[in-house]
Amino acid sequence: MASHVGTKRSMTVSLILTLLIAFGSLGATLALGWGPKLGLDLDGGLSVVYKPAVKTSTANMQEVVSILTNRVNGLGVSGAQVNLQGKNVVVSAPGVKDARAVLDAVGQTAQLYFRPVLCEVTLNKGKLTNVNPTTLPTCPSKYLLNQANLGVTVNSQSVSGFTMNTVSPDPEFGNVATTLPVYDDPNSRVILPILGNPTQRYLLGPAQMTGQSIAKAVAQEDSAGAWVVNYSLTGTGSKLWDQVAQSNFHQLVAIELDGVIQSAPVIQPTQAAFSSFGGTGQISGSFTESSAKNLAIAMQFGALPVRLIPLTTQTISPTLGHSALVAGLGAGLVGLALVMLYAILYYRALGFVILLGLGATAALLWAIISALGHTAFAPSFNLAGVTGLIVSIGITVDSYIVYFERLKDETRAGRSVRTSVDRGFRSAWRTVLAADFVSLLAAVLLYIIAVGDVRGFAFFLGLSTLMDIFMTWYFTRPLVVLLGRRSGSSNSALSIAAGLNSGGSDNE
Amino acid sequence: MSNEAKQFNAFTRLYRGLTTINFVGRKKTWFTVSTIIIVAGLLSLGVRGFNLGIDFKGGSSWEVLAPHSSIAKMTAAVEGAGLSQPTIEKLGAKTYEVTADLNNLSQSAQLTETNKVVTAMAKAADVNAIQVSTSSVGPTWGGSVTSRALEALIVFFLAVVLYISARFEPKMALAAFVAMVHDLLVTVGVYSLFGFQLTPDTVIAILTILGYSLYDTVVVFDRVRDNTGSVLKSGDMTYGDMVNLSMNQTLARSINTSLVAILPVLSILIVGAYILGATTLQNYGLALTVGLFSGAYSSIFIASPLLAVLKEREPRFKELKLRVEARGGRETLTPASAALLSGEGAQRAVKTGATASTDAVIQARARKQKRR
Repeated sequence: MASHVGTKRSMTVSLILTLLIAFGSLGATLALGWGPKLGLDLDGGLSVVYKPAVKTSTANMQEVVSILTNRVNGLGVSGAQVNLQGKNVVVSAPGVKDARAVLDAVGQTAQLYFRPVLCEVTLNKGKLTNVNPTTLPTCPSKYLLNQANLGVTVNSQSVSGFTMNTVSPDPEFGNVATTLPVYDDPNSRVILPILGNPTQRYLLGPAQMTGQSIAKAVAQEDSAGAWVVNYSLTGTGSKLWDQVAQSNFHQLVAIELDGVIQSAPVIQPTQAAFSSFGGTGQISGSFTESSAKNLAIAMQFGALPVRLIPLTTQTISPTLGHSALVAGLGAGLVGLALVMLYAILYYRALGFVILLGLGATAALLWAIISALGHTAFAPSFNLAGVTGLIVSIGITVDSYIVYFERLKDETRAGRSVRTSVDRGFRSAWRTVLAADFVSLLAAVLLYIIAVGDVRGFAFFLGLSTLMDIFMTWYFTRPLVVLLGRRSGSSNSALSIAAGLNSGGSDNE
Repeated sequence: MSNEAKQFNAFTRLYRGLTTINFVGRKKTWFTVSTIIIVAGLLSLGVRGFNLGIDFKGGSSWEVLAPHSSIAKMTAAVEGAGLSQPTIEKLGAKTYEVTADLNNLSQSAQLTETNKVVTAMAKAADVNAIQVSTSSVGPTWGGSVTSRALEALIVFFLAVVLYISARFEPKMALAAFVAMVHDLLVTVGVYSLFGFQLTPDTVIAILTILGYSLYDTVVVFDRVRDNTGSVLKSGDMTYGDMVNLSMNQTLARSINTSLVAILPVLSILIVGAYILGATTLQNYGLALTVGLFSGAYSSIFIASPLLAVLKEREPRFKELKLRVEARGGRETLTPASAALLSGEGAQRAVKTGATASTDAVIQARARKQKRR
């Protein structure tokens, strides 16, 4: 049966080309000084996963991503990434020296709401009950902070330029706990504390405006030397704010930032009638320099369309990252050495084929991973990825084992080594394809569906499986077939026949 | 043949293809062993549940490299920083890990406390504060990772069943599927029995194992499919015998592959985790080691015997079994003698009177390959 899996010439060319490409690209990568883009568990850095506090649209989440990207870039952190993974936002900044400083800036997950103040509520000591805001009772009319009860009147004699009545807080809510972050929904009523005074609480109505309407906010000292926040509104924000201000005229509007009332100013108390803000405004009150600045920053940059809850926060120190890298590579090299030793003990001459093949695969993989590190495409190389590669050693070597065991079968059938290498490759190739397909299937599905570190793992597992298919066809096939065709008469211990040492030939 | 086989030790028999281990015939033993392990695991799961890591429970952890510190020193430092009931562990030779639950504090209070502990640990380790790694996890994080992993698992199962049904046949898909569920249950049970800590890394590792176990099974089934045509036509063997032969033929490969897969994973576990002390590596290594052993076991002792059971219920293989038994005993082939049989088909086949069919099969196989 004239069954050739390739001509001698084409196989020699393929073998030489493969080795040239593998070791050449490794050489080029090393010469260029390229290395893989290390993940934060190997390089140190920061990673935070946030989830939106309430269900929200994808468009909103994309806006969150762009705002967070601005914040991270504003810190001058290089290589930081903010992206959506499913419904979560992932912020990662590998290689950052002082990860906690970055976290403090990014972690300020400010969400600004403008809510009308309904009434003040007391806070009892002792056990409090958490209440879903949809079932919160309303305040009786005598406690309402409405125009009638407040009775704001312009009074040029007063220091503040106006006077108003004191409305006592509603004691009915004393045992109701402050609204939890999960219930802090813009469309519900909430009970929230005032910044710096957690026992003073207001019952607030649904948000009428969010921080998105604010174009710019700055903290400044006014003529009297008191700190105020001057802000300007966006085009649509300006109209909206006028509506909100008009409906709450001479009443309190609370500016809520992440579940805390930053300030609850009275609308235009020094004017007898409402007038348009014309797109700008000023918040005054008992601000210090830092509290005014914080409010201004939160108003301008903190305006996320939805509140974020950190699911997991990780900062890895560069030294720990380095020691993990050493551990990962160390484990990989020891594993590789053990496998190579076993291959040579078991297969002798053919073991050296595995050795050379693993070497060439490793060289090519390193070159590809380093080159991918220079693109934004590949996930960074993290411990999960290292594990993926280590696991793939088994899959790679298995392709050789499948082939060599087939070779043994063929020679047992009394065929010459020369014919066996061809026939054996054919059936082994089919098995390798079927088995590698399953491994690839697992890698692709994991990559698509899973989140976080899993993707790195899946990516490198998939990459090395593809590499295995490539090497089996372009390296193992030509090398073993060429060796097999030469080995007809050789009787040395290192010959291919010594590695096969078939039971069949003993029986002859 | 069997006398000749007995004169060699197990390794040589394996190496020379002289094994005749009856995998299919002793299926009851294998199935019982697996059932006991799985039931024990599930009982433990019902009674004790899992030892969940902070990724599932929620909580905070800190890590620092401190070659000259001690557990007592670290404990004093973090308790001084206001942590109540912290767990302090030494990982590898010089890494300390502190775990505590801060989720009852508000977001800003958590941040403050985290920073206080960082400062305290840095001082105790005599390093700069940026050398302390931190991790804080909300109570829902692990659940969301797991639900994604479960989605991946279900899609993977479906895809695999479809692929094997199309490329091989539905009964092989069923047998492979049962073997994968077996590995899943064994690994989960072992985790509960031994109280190993379950982290999202473990979940990833378990997914990989399933892929690997399936990979192993596919190699054996590929051989079974090859033999279905050639060996069965001789009429000397039942389907079960043929599966048994296929398994003995791929046994050397199965053992070698399992060894080369387990060597690097053991190296992750021992070198990476215990000597050099990287927690992530430990999580992966442990789950992979447990799963690889289970995967190697299930593709040999569960998937293939089960396939034989399923196929022998088909009328044509039932008949074949009756015919073979009626002839009085079956022929037990070693992989080596099976190879001889196919290689010297003509001479050998004259005796059994099946020259034409044996030959025809070899040609059929060759034709198939040309098409590919």
